[in-house]
Amino acid sequence: MTKKEPLEKEIETYEKNKDRLLAESPGKYVLIQEGKIEGIFESQKDAMNTGFEKFGNVPFLVKKIELVEQKQNFTSNLISITPSETKCHV
Amino acid sequence: MPCMTRSMDNLQQEGPLLDVYFSLPEGLEKKLKAEGKQVPAPIHCKALIDTGASNCVVQEEIPTKLNLNPTGETTITTPSCESCKCYTYYMRLTIPVNKIIIETIFTAAPLKNQEIDCLFGRDALSNCVFIYIGYAGQFTLSV
Repeated sequence: MTKKEPLEKEIETYEKNKDRLLAESPGKYVLIQEGKIEGIFESQKDAMNTGFEKFGNVPFLVKKIELVEQKQNFTSNLISITPSETKCHV
Repeated sequence: MPCMTRSMDNLQQEGPLLDVYFSLPEGLEKKLKAEGKQVPAPIHCKALIDTGASNCVVQEEIPTKLNLNPTGETTITTPSCESCKCYTYYMRLTIPVNKIIIETIFTAAPLKNQEIDCLFGRDALSNCVFIYIGYAGQFTLSV
């Protein structure tokens, strides 16, 4: 049995429910933990604080509900990540 | 609006650097204290105000040292990598001068060289006034 990456289950849950979330709550923030949608929030801060209050220091996902996710971009080469690294995480 | 100004002899060479502290976000700190659990001490590091960074970045070891768990995942593009996945963390950043506190999302990535552990990117700057006076070797940040 392979060990799951943190947030793998939460991201799967988001993708499964993305169409419905987009139809019902575009632009809002969804809180997902252990495969369960725990709530929809107007602000990221409210979603985070609810997550910490309910679950404490465990992985949970707070994600903006949007059709096209914004990629982050960096012009300097201070970030030493290479294409061979599929995911940079601690 | 809390404000700090710094003068540097080598602003052009080093860039606008800040001494900052990373710590747990307030909501998590309250939760841990209520449960009688230990709260990790803040971690001191250098941050570079980087208008070439769309988002804030933290050296990937720092969330680990704070025993934090990720709250998201994102895709980043750099000169050396297109569409790499990274975890994101909700953290509190404190600038000791005038006790400026910002709680926001930081993308965890390996930052190399120059002892910089944080990029203060345009997402954080979207709520700030940043004045860079090159000829005077001085910059001002209002949050």
